[in-house]
Amino acid sequence: MLLEISGLTKYFGGLAAVSQLDVYVNEGEIVGLIGPNGAGKTTVFNLITGVFPPTKGKVTFDGTDITGKKPHVIAELGIGRTFQLNPLFADFTVLENVSASFHLRPRSSWLGTYFNTATYRRNEAYILEQSLEILKLVGLDKFKDELAKNLPHGYQKMLGMARALATRPKLLLLDEPIAGMNPDEIDFTLTNIRKTQQQGVTFLIVEHNMRIMDLCDRVVVINFGKQVTEGLPKEVRKNKEVIQAYFGGEHAA
Amino acid sequence: MIEKRLSMRDGRRLVKPSAYGGLAIILFLLPLFLKSPYWFHILIITFVYIIATVSLRVITISGQFPLAHAAFMGIGAYASAVLSKELGWSPWLTIPLGAVVATGIGVLIGYPFARLRALYYAMVSLFFGVGIIQVLYVFQRWTGGYSGLMGIQPLLSATTYKLPYYYFFLGLTLVCLLALYRFEFCRIGISMKAIAQSHMVASSVGINEARYRVVALAVGCFFVGLAGAAYAHYNLTLSFTSFDMLATLWLFMYTLIGGIGSFAGPIVGTAVLFLIPEIFRELKEFLPYLSAAILFIVVFVMPQGLVGLPQLIRSWFAELRKRVAHAS
Repeated sequence: MLLEISGLTKYFGGLAAVSQLDVYVNEGEIVGLIGPNGAGKTTVFNLITGVFPPTKGKVTFDGTDITGKKPHVIAELGIGRTFQLNPLFADFTVLENVSASFHLRPRSSWLGTYFNTATYRRNEAYILEQSLEILKLVGLDKFKDELAKNLPHGYQKMLGMARALATRPKLLLLDEPIAGMNPDEIDFTLTNIRKTQQQGVTFLIVEHNMRIMDLCDRVVVINFGKQVTEGLPKEVRKNKEVIQAYFGGEHAA
Repeated sequence: MIEKRLSMRDGRRLVKPSAYGGLAIILFLLPLFLKSPYWFHILIITFVYIIATVSLRVITISGQFPLAHAAFMGIGAYASAVLSKELGWSPWLTIPLGAVVATGIGVLIGYPFARLRALYYAMVSLFFGVGIIQVLYVFQRWTGGYSGLMGIQPLLSATTYKLPYYYFFLGLTLVCLLALYRFEFCRIGISMKAIAQSHMVASSVGINEARYRVVALAVGCFFVGLAGAAYAHYNLTLSFTSFDMLATLWLFMYTLIGGIGSFAGPIVGTAVLFLIPEIFRELKEFLPYLSAAILFIVVFVMPQGLVGLPQLIRSWFAELRKRVAHAS
């Protein structure tokens, strides 16, 4: 098991945003975490990546207990992520966004960086080459010198993923990767996720656009911070409780 | 045709370094033409404040806006002056020590400061700066209190003849600027700029936000402490008012007027605001109003600050030429 969440609980004041949640992700899988607006999906991501600590429960990644660790430590252990509202390094170019995100592997020492040693220059040359490769993978290489803030929305989302890939993650958490995209962009993104998975990256994806289900090996549905059901995409799609969660109890067919 | 265009672009690339080199040579040769000690004094003070403003820039690129920067200049100045005066140590030793003391205090407050943002950061740093002045007052037995610290050991023996000081401060400024330039444009500075744009994203790619912010503060405090310490052994008297909150706000003023978005901005801003009142002597007492007026113009007409002026003029000319071509 690459990622294991057990009994995860988070209270904001008196409100339980997430309660007693158990989720696991196996190596190489694409797992979808779906649920209606306000179900607590993004909170789960923030708890995994250490943006804030959980009230209760435990997160284990690759055999290490990462509960309550700082975001940059968790990134270093191999969890990359994107954000729902997709903040970027807005005043950097597309290429700079990716190369600045190559902070962990390879890493140069402070002094080596300042004094421009041969190792640092070699690392930077490698980073440039790898950044261009990642941009090619997500189809942004032709916009590499454009400022990130000038990109259209769909491309900004892909840049978010490119940036996360620059940390060389074992597990990539995508927060609504296809929200607000047009059908072509969605197809393109789904293809990219597939391609990246084949290179050995595991995915946990938060989304409430149901099209993400085409991609998932397994889907976990949550509502009001609790797990509703879990299973194969085609099972979940027919599940009464899921339909209820999305369309409301009274009107469920 | 293509070859010609290429060579033109190469030529452009050489414009900047050669302009900087040319400026440095002019400053080195200036004493051949300029004989007035008063002008040397003005230039030396300008150099000191250029180091201070550019060292503030190192901190601001990491997204921190400390309202205590001039206080750190004071820490460096008073530490060096008191050490040399009380212990009889050479200023050549106490000036770096003053910078180290400023850095040490910068690191100490850096960690709690790294948790603060925006207005909270501004308020806490503001009161920290005020507090430093109070601490200096408490130690008035050594610092001289509000009547000022006098009789500081001079760095160089020639006190009335300013030329040696001019070259010392010119050299110091060039070294500090080169050191800070490298800092901003290597990966360390880039990571700091990343933090300033989005600390959430920066930490999600593994950048240790707190550590980078502390390092930014440490480096900024080192250079401003160095400038303050060197100033102490040139000016030979010190008073609290040079390092209070207003002094910090002036550093921000120089930065904003020169252009907050580029390395040259703070340098240009400081030089302009120090030299213009000297050239137009009558304007001197109106400096605060003049600066506010310039800042207004900069905000509304030159979003990139004074450093953006050449580009702005070029685009005006291009526009004018287009209109003339249209009319004929």
